[in-house]
Amino acid sequence: MSSKVLTFLFVMLCVDVFLPWQALSQEKGDSLTAAVPQQLTLVQAVMCEEIKEYTPQNQAIVFSIINGKVYCFTSFDPVPEKTVIYHNWFYRDKLTARVKLSLQPPRWSTFSRIQLRDSDKGPWRVEIADQKGALLRIVRFSITD
Amino acid sequence: MDNHLAFFSSIRWQDIVDIALVSYIVFRLYILLRGTNVFRVLIGIAFLWVFHRIAVSLGLIVTSWAIQGIIAVAALIIIVVFRNEIRSVLQAKNVKALLWGYPRKTIETPVDIIVESAYELARSRSGGLIVFPGKEDLKELLHSGIPWGGSVSKEMILSIFWPDNPVHDGAAIIKDDQVEEVGVVLPLSHRKDLPSYYGTRHRAAAGLAETTDALVIVVSEERGDVTVALGSRMRVIKRKEDLARILRKHVGVSLKRGSYLSKQRLELGIVALAAVLFITGVWFSFARGLDTLITLETPIEYMNRDPAIEILATSINSVRLHLSGSGALIKSIRPEQVTVRLDLSKSNVGSHTFSIAQKNISLPPGVLVKKVEPSSVEVTLDHLGRKELPIQIDWVGKLPEGLILTEARLNPKKMEIIGGQQILEGISTVYTEQVSLGAIQKSGTMTVKLALNPASLRIAPGSKDNVTVEYMVTKRVQ
Repeated sequence: MSSKVLTFLFVMLCVDVFLPWQALSQEKGDSLTAAVPQQLTLVQAVMCEEIKEYTPQNQAIVFSIINGKVYCFTSFDPVPEKTVIYHNWFYRDKLTARVKLSLQPPRWSTFSRIQLRDSDKGPWRVEIADQKGALLRIVRFSITD
Repeated sequence: MDNHLAFFSSIRWQDIVDIALVSYIVFRLYILLRGTNVFRVLIGIAFLWVFHRIAVSLGLIVTSWAIQGIIAVAALIIIVVFRNEIRSVLQAKNVKALLWGYPRKTIETPVDIIVESAYELARSRSGGLIVFPGKEDLKELLHSGIPWGGSVSKEMILSIFWPDNPVHDGAAIIKDDQVEEVGVVLPLSHRKDLPSYYGTRHRAAAGLAETTDALVIVVSEERGDVTVALGSRMRVIKRKEDLARILRKHVGVSLKRGSYLSKQRLELGIVALAAVLFITGVWFSFARGLDTLITLETPIEYMNRDPAIEILATSINSVRLHLSGSGALIKSIRPEQVTVRLDLSKSNVGSHTFSIAQKNISLPPGVLVKKVEPSSVEVTLDHLGRKELPIQIDWVGKLPEGLILTEARLNPKKMEIIGGQQILEGISTVYTEQVSLGAIQKSGTMTVKLALNPASLRIAPGSKDNVTVEYMVTKRVQ
């Protein structure tokens, strides 16, 4: 197992044990040098039941409360410079969590997750915003029985 | 004391008009029907009604039912049995006489003429028998009478009892100034104490007088004396003045006409007062008596709102009105007769508290508001605005085991919504009605409606009121 994978698993363990809201960044693939100025680009934003091998598993728009957690996975390519993004979790129109996540050049995938309680059933959305708060994408999903 | 003041202050002008109108109707009925059998029966019914109210107040259930039934039947009987009498009263009078006229002229019995005629008959030794009915009806006791219908005059009376006249042996019935019948056969008295020289004429006079309240004048052709029979008493009257006094007393004619008119006015005054008191009692019985309380849940209506301003929120949508009034009035209340209206004409954008007062509540006459719960309402007003909002499906339930709902495409994706600007500022998504996952087995399409919350929001004209959802389902990969 590569050292990068071990690092990823160690950080995940820390998130689960110590932090209620946590984001994790992960460099994926080789870094590419870019001669021309590039813009931070969101290439993937999905909700999923879990993440394995840097890949979102069981992407969906409806999640059962029985799963106990739900992930928002985002992938950026390119990432021109070290920066941060935000995952803003809304239950209906109420902001319930704001997760700050770091991005590293040249490409980066990162995710946040929430633990589910019984009162969380209903429509949700995650607003993905850049460092300045500009909205990059909205991902909508529901928590059900 | 405060209760009395509150009571009098609660009486409205409509109540006074109500009592006055019905009292006048009762008074007019008395004027039109007095002296008739219908009037006597009506008085009887009025007494029955009073007894009925007493029975109700005492809780005598069966008695009150029985009296109520008798009153209902009696009212029907009056119309059927006395229809001719009612018709004659109503047909004989014009509209003015029905509504306004008073009997200013009364027909008087010409006492002096009768007295003069009686003593003239006595002087000429002609027999005579004259009957003056009282208040009792004599029809059952009188027989073989011949209708006469002539005005009373000395010549008329003398000619009736002229020995060659075929009807001279019978009695003449005089009522007011008319000779109604002649040749009438009266019932004979069977008394043993009458003088032996009394003939058939005297026994007939005694027979009628002792069984009724009529006064009978007998003129003896043998002795030439004038005898008055009244009740069980018969006495010879020597002087004309005495006969005139007795006769006047019987027929109710006073020597002074002014005194008679005063008496008439006094009678009408008493009747008018009695009518007012009676109807006031009836009114209290219906309008105030047996006070009943009910509680009505009544929606609040908002009036005169600026069309550009929207009611965003209200602390309550309806109030509980505690109403009081007579049982009859309370039972007859229809919901549309009770309204609570608030005037928003002077209200601007923002939050306002309105007290719900008497002026805001519309009720049927005779019904009073005892209490309003709650007594105030908070209303939030705002200008109307428009906003295009993304739509999100409100999924509920549980997908069948092994399935994952991966995607849902909406058409349209956004909807223009109209509502209060403050509300719209706080909303970034509109949701559909709840959509159940339980029936989904494979990918498909469905149509759902929006569930706008708060209810003051609405879809802008021209927008679709439903959303088409194309959803994709895949099998779970373990």
